[in-house]
Amino acid sequence: MRSEHWLFTIPLRLRSLFRRAQVDQELDDELRDHLERKTEEYASQGMTQEQAHRRARLDLGGIEQTKEKCRDARKVNWIEDLIQDLRYGLRMLRKSPGFAAASIFTLALGIGANTAIFSVLDAAILKPLPVNDPDSLLIVEWINPEFPAGVGNINGDFHRISAGRFQGSSISANLYRKLAQEQTVFKALVGIADPNSVAIVVDGQPAEQVSLQYTSGNFFQGLSVLPVVGRPFLAEEDRVGQEPVLIVSHRFWTERLGRDQNLLNHKVRINDVPAEIVGVTPPGFFGLRAGQWSDVYAPLAMRVAFSPTTGDKVARGEDDWDWWVRQVGRLKPGISKADATADIAGRFRAVAAQNLNVDASKVPELITLPGRRGFDSLNPSDASALWILTLLVGVLLLIVCANVANLLLARSVARQRESAVRLALGASRGRLFRQHLVESGLLGFLGGAAGLALGYALAQSVHLMFESGRDASSMFDLRLDTRVLGFTASLSILTSVLFGSVPALQAASAELNDALKSQARSVMGRRLRLPALLVSAQIALCLTALVAAGLLGRSLKNLKWTDIGFDRENLAYVSVNPGQAGYPTERLRSYVDRVCDEIARLPGVLRVSTVGHRPMSSGGQLSRVSIPGRSLRIEKGVVAPEQAATVNWVGEGFFETLSIPLLAGRTVDRRDVRADGEAVVVDERFAKHFFPNENPLGRHFGFNPNDNARYEIVGVVQDSHYNSLRDEQAAAVYEPFSPDPRKAIHFVIRASVDSQTLEGAVRKVIASVDPAVPLTEFHTQNELIDRLLRTERLLAVMSGAFGLVALTLAAVGIGGVLAYAVARRTNEIGIRMALGAGTGDVVRMVLRDSVSMTVLGILVGLPGAYAIAKVLKATLFHLQALDPRTAFLSFFALIVVAILAAWLPAQRAVRIDPMVALRYE
Amino acid sequence: MLLLKILALGPMNGFAVSQRLKQVSGDVLQVSDGSLYPALHKLEQEGWITSEWKTSEYGRRAKYYSLTRLGRRQLEKETDNWGRLSSAISRVIKLKEA
Repeated sequence: MRSEHWLFTIPLRLRSLFRRAQVDQELDDELRDHLERKTEEYASQGMTQEQAHRRARLDLGGIEQTKEKCRDARKVNWIEDLIQDLRYGLRMLRKSPGFAAASIFTLALGIGANTAIFSVLDAAILKPLPVNDPDSLLIVEWINPEFPAGVGNINGDFHRISAGRFQGSSISANLYRKLAQEQTVFKALVGIADPNSVAIVVDGQPAEQVSLQYTSGNFFQGLSVLPVVGRPFLAEEDRVGQEPVLIVSHRFWTERLGRDQNLLNHKVRINDVPAEIVGVTPPGFFGLRAGQWSDVYAPLAMRVAFSPTTGDKVARGEDDWDWWVRQVGRLKPGISKADATADIAGRFRAVAAQNLNVDASKVPELITLPGRRGFDSLNPSDASALWILTLLVGVLLLIVCANVANLLLARSVARQRESAVRLALGASRGRLFRQHLVESGLLGFLGGAAGLALGYALAQSVHLMFESGRDASSMFDLRLDTRVLGFTASLSILTSVLFGSVPALQAASAELNDALKSQARSVMGRRLRLPALLVSAQIALCLTALVAAGLLGRSLKNLKWTDIGFDRENLAYVSVNPGQAGYPTERLRSYVDRVCDEIARLPGVLRVSTVGHRPMSSGGQLSRVSIPGRSLRIEKGVVAPEQAATVNWVGEGFFETLSIPLLAGRTVDRRDVRADGEAVVVDERFAKHFFPNENPLGRHFGFNPNDNARYEIVGVVQDSHYNSLRDEQAAAVYEPFSPDPRKAIHFVIRASVDSQTLEGAVRKVIASVDPAVPLTEFHTQNELIDRLLRTERLLAVMSGAFGLVALTLAAVGIGGVLAYAVARRTNEIGIRMALGAGTGDVVRMVLRDSVSMTVLGILVGLPGAYAIAKVLKATLFHLQALDPRTAFLSFFALIVVAILAAWLPAQRAVRIDPMVALRYE
Repeated sequence: MLLLKILALGPMNGFAVSQRLKQVSGDVLQVSDGSLYPALHKLEQEGWITSEWKTSEYGRRAKYYSLTRLGRRQLEKETDNWGRLSSAISRVIKLKEA
């Protein structure tokens, strides 16, 4: 029965939809025909043609109304209503292109900014790993009351979670393999290590640095990430002594191998060890940590092969005291997380007790964590920065909504006549409301589409700032995927409803009488209160944005120009890693000397030296200080800053190159390297902290309690910052350079030429001394500092941009409302001027409105500004949250903007000719 | 229902339908012109009547409505309902007062 029904009606509905003109014409004809017949009948009853015609028309009622009712009767489907509304909306927008452009632009700005921040947030924190069924993944870590017995070294994470409990991420390769072998609860248990930087030579080209991660043999199969070219690792390949094999990332394959399907054609060397590429990962696979892209994967056992020779006989990485492999397991379906955890913990206890030769109770306890998003990608400060940005960008969107709502309100007032006529023609108020809402929806859609494009572009630049230095190994996978699209779509709908509902309500409640009469003479009363309130709301939000921008900006400035203890200008660092290129210990010193000489000879170079850890770069080494005769409470694996010192090795002339003054004693050079100990230089902090009230020169200390007289202090230099601009610095120890092929070497250069020239010249030098040694990095000191500050810079720039946009929008908002107020009060102003008011009075009137809106906004915005200051408190440097200068500057900026925005409307008000105004209705 | 019944008698245009109804019911039932056409369009939308443009004897083009099979079924249903309703009302009205 139903299907028949549809069969009959579908052709009809389609016709109404697609052949409107024809259908309309037919309706017209039908009614006209009826009128004719009616007229005839009346005429036949004796009336005149004219009378009959009039009578017939009266009987019918209004033709247009009847037509409209017929049209309504045809419509059972709300879709037809919607389409009609859309067409109408489009037509209306086309009629006022200025308004449309302004609103779409502002919406695009607001939605775009939100999309950008969301896509970064999503990629960094929210999105699951791009693997099959990420919810079935579990990360396996362990907890222990102290540094595990029998373990010497832990890579990955190791930190205290509470008193007497530590959490660590990695176990030894051996233990991992034993665990992975028999699995009942996991479909697969894969192992992966943190990325290493290695030198790679492809087909004889110059060496470059890549990020390499060692993984278990079953890594790719276990994660169901099957290579698109070639094959995954085989279990047998994860054995010491096997031919090294590699799997590369899709990006590496595209950029370095030209998408060549014949992988085995290419000759590759990793740290000067030949290896074969056997597979390519799918595009979009970056590893297990968002923000960390590895370009090369190798089996765990290859760590032995690729590590530079140190003369150790022991197979590196295969001992049970070296814990460096993280584990991730894929749950078998039907097994609960708790069961899996208990099972694997028990198994580990047994295996580890046996291998480490310790009691089972001393073995760390395995725990599992959800692995859906992989390993944590952002450190807490970056994560909180991102949330702050999300907040600010939300505030911006609200301002945008208020702005567009105002524009719509102004427009709906102008269209009141139209609304009134439509109501008179039979439209229901509900219909009118819906139609205005659809118009808003249209604006929202267009703004959202533009915003999506803008957001994508913005996200790329936010991203660039976030991972400073465009380092290929730390990138987020920012794509316009369905999640981002969905977010933008929902945001567009939400904002449309937000800014559209009130103007729609106003339009639908248009009073017929008021509108159809000639312009009512109301002053800025009821009609303009709403827009004025919206503008005040905008200003309140703007205050929040400005305060945030001000605080973050000043904090950044304080941080950046903090005194770091040495001259940061004209200083550059060149990094090389000869150990990776195969240099043994004996040849290192001569290499370094040669390079130093050559660089010193370059024009413009004032001083050269070498250093192990570049000042003001991240990372570094913190070691516990042991002093003979003093006992220290030692907590294995954890170094308390007050008991430790940062250690750096320096070459000859280091302190002079950096302009760090020597306060006592002398500097160190190669003669101070002795087999049984070294002479070292310490900084003032060290001297004051560890040897207060005595002469530190000649005193001894060590980093190992069993060898605590190894180092002799021969000099004291001024304090300088090591790896942070913030205050808390540990004491510093400077050792003389002693060659170690495992470590990178940085040349520090003070030059009078610009960095680009210097870089070019230095590259040539490095290549000429030995082309097999890659120049891994070149950075000026200021660049390094900027890198350290990347989060703060990002926040300052973004909040500054948002503040500026918010201010502009507020200015536009004020200007708009004032202009409209002036237009409506033309009459009143004309009267006043005729009665003797001067230009000054008129201007004052306009200004008063402007300033009152602004002041109201500021007052309303104070709590919000206070709240955001509190939120930012943790990240501010040498700045209190309620910083008075920032607050006053923000108020000042808003007042100035209010006055400036009032200028144009005031001018217009002043130019009102009283005679014209009085006649104007 | 009434419109459907009128059309069951044969295809006719809107004007004729209202005339017929007036005639048959003795001027008691009249449908205003303003509501006639919306009603006819609604019936057509439901699929109970269908329309056709015909050129009449005098060369005049008019839209003629006729009942569809679906419409006939609907008419039967509504007639039955009406029958039940009216007999129920009659029963109540015919109750002897005490």
